[in-house]
Amino acid sequence: MRYINIALSKGRLADYAVSLFSKSGIDCSEINEKSRKLIFTDEVNNIKFFLVKPSDVPTYVEYGAADIGIVGRDTLLEEGRNLYEVLNLDFGACRMVVAGPKELEGKLDSITNKRVATKYPNVAREYFEHTKRESIEIIKLNGSVELAPLVGLSEVIVDIVESGRTLKDNGLVVLETIADISARMVVNRVSMKMENKRIGALIEGIRKQIEKDSDEK
Amino acid sequence: MKQWKIYTPDGVQDFLFKDCYQKKNIEDKVRKLFRNWGYMEIETPTIEFYDTFSSNNELIPQEEMFKFYDQQGRILVLRPDLTIPVARVAATHDKDNTLPMKYFYVGNCYKYREMGGGKQKEYTQAGVELLGDSSVEADAEVIATAIYAAKAAGIEKFQIDIGQVEFFKGIVEEAGFDEFEAEKLRLSIDKKDYLGVEEIVKAKGVNSDLKNLILELPALFGSSEVLEKAERVVLNERSQDAIKYLKKLLGILEEYQLSQYVSIDLGMVHSISYYTGIIFRGVTYDIGFPFISGGRYDKLVAKYGRDCPATGFSMGINLVLAALQRQKVELAEPKIDTLVFCEEGARELGFKLSNVLRDMEVIVQLDFSNKSIEAAVSYSKNKNIGGTIRLFKDGRIELHETATGDVKNTTIKELAGDFV
Repeated sequence: MRYINIALSKGRLADYAVSLFSKSGIDCSEINEKSRKLIFTDEVNNIKFFLVKPSDVPTYVEYGAADIGIVGRDTLLEEGRNLYEVLNLDFGACRMVVAGPKELEGKLDSITNKRVATKYPNVAREYFEHTKRESIEIIKLNGSVELAPLVGLSEVIVDIVESGRTLKDNGLVVLETIADISARMVVNRVSMKMENKRIGALIEGIRKQIEKDSDEK
Repeated sequence: MKQWKIYTPDGVQDFLFKDCYQKKNIEDKVRKLFRNWGYMEIETPTIEFYDTFSSNNELIPQEEMFKFYDQQGRILVLRPDLTIPVARVAATHDKDNTLPMKYFYVGNCYKYREMGGGKQKEYTQAGVELLGDSSVEADAEVIATAIYAAKAAGIEKFQIDIGQVEFFKGIVEEAGFDEFEAEKLRLSIDKKDYLGVEEIVKAKGVNSDLKNLILELPALFGSSEVLEKAERVVLNERSQDAIKYLKKLLGILEEYQLSQYVSIDLGMVHSISYYTGIIFRGVTYDIGFPFISGGRYDKLVAKYGRDCPATGFSMGINLVLAALQRQKVELAEPKIDTLVFCEEGARELGFKLSNVLRDMEVIVQLDFSNKSIEAAVSYSKNKNIGGTIRLFKDGRIELHETATGDVKNTTIKELAGDFV
């Protein structure tokens, strides 16, 4: 039997995904062992897991190197890959927003030449150019995006917000919401068809597990 | 300026011996099959006007095309597709030809796109277009041709996934979605993003039967049972007709005895602006992208001045080659059977012998570079040539078998009879 390859986003999300897969009857013991291996195998169910950088998960899945991926929707929006987004894992819920200084509340549209600092240049461009139909200047940053409006690097930022604490501490507010974000299970378009039964069963197993977990809460 | 001279640009590649041989073999097999099915090959230019591919409805996104200018400043493109040139030909040079008309092509296309997984910027497409026949039989024939072409190319395990864009259009109509909402819904359904579909449907407030159907749309794929399931929901006429059409189509494919290769996906709603009826895609193991893509496009030819229904498909030859190689399918490799090494004064005889052998379908390479028979034999070994013929001017021959090292004495008469 062929292996089903599953790409997990390194970090908290991988731990959560592993717990979901374990509980739905897949042997993930190899992952929990401390080692430098990159691929972990469940020989009984013929499943291979690998841990990759979150922004690489959609790439692995689109090219079919992985049949299934576990990744945040923020990454999916940014990468814009051609995939099936089959399941919401109800994990890591947050929002993709436009944020800026409080003075800009309700006045976002009045700035004609917006500079937008963000880790998500594609999301920002898509939102401003296609949804709001305006041209913007993107400033790509790799972290601490909140700093940009404070030091005059940009007028606003596009970033994910969980509690809003960081924004508040830095005197910023949410100006507009772009999308709700949470972790997703994605599937390669060809794999979904060629391995319909096995992948369908995996999705169903995880879906049931999520339901059960939320009932217990 | 010279720093790039030894490289090729991103997304194009040199195909050397084995890969080239296997790629051309696939093209030949597919070409032969198309001919046997009554399709006529046409060759259109690699360079065309930008307008042909973009004309008012943006058939191909402009950022995907390689563009340059002619002397008059008009925009040219390297063709990104071969269906559109066929439509152009059918509506212009070939407009008086009696319909139905069956065209096929094998040629290279060019698109700026991300590479990997068998995808390149220059890629070979082989495909057919059946024009002037709006029947379900025509759609079935095109799908049957695609299945036989995949088999001829050597792909054994594959699946043709069939959808029908009319089904989706009917639902959109019934639910009263505007263009913007419909596009959002289409994207979500195409991604099988259940959550996204739910959000859109909830926001719109459609009646519960229809709502349930839309929510189920991303899951409506698999065997023909899917159609029964969709049929049970009371539907508008347009969607019902789409289901009936698919049922008929599956019935015909059953007569072709090809049912085992086809499946249904009612949630397949990619590029609905181009296709007007059924759409289908061929998938196989080990490549993450469909290697066959096709469907009915009744409005396309009219854009070039001739109103005529059309259905067809194209197959990505590079993807097929990648799939076969990754699936470890045994493919023929290029090979030279015999090296002919001529001793002093035997050259004329060598030419004759070689031609006789070639007529007997033996692949022959004449050797003029090696200075001795030992060198010639070791060259054969290095190149994996089957054997070396050492020819003397009196017609004597020494046959050196490469694999075993055996040497046999014979004569040109014995080997080639009276032909020489």
